[in-house]
Amino acid sequence: MRYLLMSLADENTPAPDEKLFAEMGAYIQEMSAKGILLATGGLEPGGVRMTSAGSEITVTDGPFTEAKEAVVGFALVEVRSEEEMLELARRFRRIVGDGVSEIRRVL
Amino acid sequence: MIDAVWKLESAKIIAALTRLVRDVGLAEEFAQDALVAAMEQWPAEGVPDNPGAWLMSVARRRAVDHIRRERRHDRLAQDLRPHDEEPRQDDTLRLMFLSCHPVLPPPARVALTLKLLGGLSTAEIARAFLTGEQVVARRIADAKRTLADNRVGFDLPEASEAAGRLASVLEVIYLIFNEGYAAASGDDLMRPGLTLEALRLGGMLADLAPQSEVLGLLALMEIQTSRSDARTGPSGEPIPLHEQNRGRWDQLRIRRGFTAMLRARELGGPPGPYLVQAAIAVCHAQARTAGETDWAQIAALYEILVRLTPTPVVRLNQAVALGMAHGPQAGLDLADGLTTDPALQNYHLLPGVRADLLLRLGRPDEARREFLRAALLADNAAERAFLERRAAAIPPGEDAGVLLGPAVDAFLTGRAPSTARSYGQTLHRLRLALGAHTPLATVTAAEVSRVVTTAWGDAAARTWNRHLAAIGSFATWAELPGLTGDLARRAEPPSARRPVVPPEHPGLSLRERALWSLLYESSAPISRVLALNVDDLDLDDRRARNGVSWRSRTARLLPELVGDRTRGPLFLSDRRPAPARRPADDDLCPHTGRRRLSYERAEYLFKQATGHTLRDLR
Repeated sequence: MRYLLMSLADENTPAPDEKLFAEMGAYIQEMSAKGILLATGGLEPGGVRMTSAGSEITVTDGPFTEAKEAVVGFALVEVRSEEEMLELARRFRRIVGDGVSEIRRVL
Repeated sequence: MIDAVWKLESAKIIAALTRLVRDVGLAEEFAQDALVAAMEQWPAEGVPDNPGAWLMSVARRRAVDHIRRERRHDRLAQDLRPHDEEPRQDDTLRLMFLSCHPVLPPPARVALTLKLLGGLSTAEIARAFLTGEQVVARRIADAKRTLADNRVGFDLPEASEAAGRLASVLEVIYLIFNEGYAAASGDDLMRPGLTLEALRLGGMLADLAPQSEVLGLLALMEIQTSRSDARTGPSGEPIPLHEQNRGRWDQLRIRRGFTAMLRARELGGPPGPYLVQAAIAVCHAQARTAGETDWAQIAALYEILVRLTPTPVVRLNQAVALGMAHGPQAGLDLADGLTTDPALQNYHLLPGVRADLLLRLGRPDEARREFLRAALLADNAAERAFLERRAAAIPPGEDAGVLLGPAVDAFLTGRAPSTARSYGQTLHRLRLALGAHTPLATVTAAEVSRVVTTAWGDAAARTWNRHLAAIGSFATWAELPGLTGDLARRAEPPSARRPVVPPEHPGLSLRERALWSLLYESSAPISRVLALNVDDLDLDDRRARNGVSWRSRTARLLPELVGDRTRGPLFLSDRRPAPARRPADDDLCPHTGRRRLSYERAEYLFKQATGHTLRDLR
């Protein structure tokens, strides 16, 4: 089963330091080699929003200030069980420190 | 939660412990102890920061305690050197080589690998392989005992045997993968979950031993997995490759497969069978539509593959590729050559492939019969239904008169049960091989000869003649007297095979000489002889309570073998079992503390000494 893990950040989230980069790099490498981590990446804070209403499509540039927290990174994992996903996410949160992750099963 | 941690960490923990205690069974027990401790402590005290390291340190502590105790009791335990205690990067690799050791039968290698390296429980393995938990438990226990009895060490294989040992590991991983891949649907996710286990094992191996064939296998598995959503329809029916919705192929998996391929290519060297198979899979993955498939390239790769692994199934796949690259006749020529291969007699894909090619050649009647024959041979219900639908899609030709299937039924009806059974054996094979829907009038002597030779060419003369007689009788009944014309009866030799005489020279241990002699003189089943206890024996009467009896040669050896013992197993292993692996009381000698000699060990010793199997003694 697959899950999409999204990590959220707001303006209080500290910028990553060198130690975090090193630990995260090692973690990503280990999980990729095991075949657990299928894809991962960081997301720019702004981006583009597209809205369709009736026949009209509107494009708006970010940042979208109304949202307090924004998704700043994602990881797509293939795991044996929900439990395993939780354990992986726990390890991830231990490396990045305070903050929030949202996790959804990919159907 | 604990289970998830365990599955992620067990390989590393058991590997490090095996280095420490030099016994994989013991290592697993200490790791299990740590797991039990976690189940007791974590719910109350909270999960530690680094659960893997916690498990490892608890397990190591148990192992070190054990070693200290052993040292105190046994001054000979000098195996342990200080530098050996530190875990090493390649411990997991060593554990893989150990659990896939050629001394173990393949099912045991698979079970042990999933248990030790995948962290699966016995129950999970049993569910995945549709067997009982006890069967798996016994398989694993036997495997550990065999490893201990054969003193298989924790060292990496030496250069001379490295390739063979690696091939054994790859074979185990691919077996696990195929078991899961074959069960793509179903309510129980444990079976398809095996593909994931295999991918993880493959990834682990590629990380530790990035060799060309390892990466080839990994690429092959990734690309095959990429199609798992696309290859079955809504009701579980198989969808052939050329009809699959390629948009449902998992591009992430394909990309991972390509990456592994590129890494393999960078290593250079001549390609092995997994790499070639992966290259074929890459050809398919690269084609955006079925029509764009580079069949010429695939056919060329199959030619290389056939040279590396000339198995009939590979040749059958080659026939498919040839049929696509160079027209159906080229494919059919190759497939027809395989109909005399005994290994493919019951393989439904041979008639399935022939049917496809015949249909493309504009020979619908034959194609229809081959589809029906394939359906009869398929054991998977969804596949059977698929083949039947394909047959039904071909309009039947003109009335061809009496068909082979009904004719056989009519011939057998009303005969005495024993005759019907004996004739039936022969004629069902004929019907299966030629197709129940084949018009009786078109069956030729050459075809009958091919079927009989393929099925029973290697059988004893008596068996051969019995089948010949059955067909002769059927031919007479059907008024087709020429049907057995190409076949001749064989002369039957007066006596059967002679048993191997057990060797007798002073270098052999008393136990071996007595066991072999007893098997030879008694002709009793091997397991019954190994089950003998000292108190079962009546040395004067040269017979045991369980009916085993012997003659003079054994009678000379037994008194010395028994010695002062009054009960317990007659044939004992060389060493005492580790305390943690104490067998049932019945299998333990009360005098020496040693366990009963195992079948595997006895077989191994005889094989080493003579090259024969124990059965050859009887």
